[in-house]
Amino acid sequence: MNEILGIVLAAIICWFNFVLIDTWMGLPESPGVKGAEVIGRSVKKRGGDLAGGFFQGNIVCSPDASAGTLLASIACYAIGTPEGGLIAAVLVYFGNRICADPGYAGTTGALSITVIIYLTSFIGFKPEYFIVGMVLAILTIQGLYQTGASRLLGKLAQKMGRYTKLT
Amino acid sequence: MIIHANVFSYIIALGVALILGLVLRLPLLPDKPMRDSWTISAVFPTAVLAIGFYAMLYELGYQGYIVALITGIITALFAKFILEKLVPRPESEESP
Repeated sequence: MNEILGIVLAAIICWFNFVLIDTWMGLPESPGVKGAEVIGRSVKKRGGDLAGGFFQGNIVCSPDASAGTLLASIACYAIGTPEGGLIAAVLVYFGNRICADPGYAGTTGALSITVIIYLTSFIGFKPEYFIVGMVLAILTIQGLYQTGASRLLGKLAQKMGRYTKLT
Repeated sequence: MIIHANVFSYIIALGVALILGLVLRLPLLPDKPMRDSWTISAVFPTAVLAIGFYAMLYELGYQGYIVALITGIITALFAKFILEKLVPRPESEESP
C-alpha cells in the first residue's frame, strides 16, 4: 500500500477509535482530576464547549483511549502483533490507576487498536502507519483549533448521551 | 502479519484467571455504571492482565500451556490480594 495513503487512512481509523471509545466511556461527562477541569473551563472561556473541553482536559491528564491507541501501535511496531498490544494494555491500565482513573478507556482503546492493526495488516497496513496516524489524530483534537474541536466533541457527546451535567 | 503466538495459551491464561477470580469471590463484572466503577472484577482487569502478563512472558521466551496456566493463577491471586494495595483508588474524590 502507498505509504501516504496508508497514513491518512490510519489517522482516520485512529481518530474514530479513540474519540468514540473515550466519549462512550464518559470523558466529556466530568473532569477526572483538577487539571482536566482547569483545561475544560479555559476552553469554554475561549468560546469552546465545556464537555469537549473536559474531554480534551481528560486526555491530557491521564492515559485514555488516545494514549492506549498510540502506545499499542508503538508496541505492535516494536514487539509484534498482538503481543505488543496486549503488553501495552497492561501498562496503560497501571498508568491509568496511578492517574486516578479506573482504566476502562485506555485499556479498551489499546485492545481495540490491536485488533484493528491485526485485521488491517491483511490489506497492507503496517503498525507504523498507526503511530503517525495517531499523532495526526491527536493534533486535530489538541493542536490545530482547540475551541472548534471542543465544539465538535461536545456535539458528539450529546449524540451519544454523554454530555456533561456541570455548568 | 500473522499471529505467531499460540492462541490456546492465551485462552488458557484468560480462562484460568477468570475462573480462579470467581472462586476467590471477585465479582464477574464491575458495578454499574461500569465506566465509573473502581471495583476489581474477574473480567476487568483480571482477565486483561492475564493475557498481558502472558504476552510479556511469551516475549521473554517462556511459552507453553503450563506457563499460561501459572500466569492465570498468579494473575488472579495478584488481582485479589495485591492490586488494590499497589494502585489504590484515590482517597478523596471531589464532589462536583
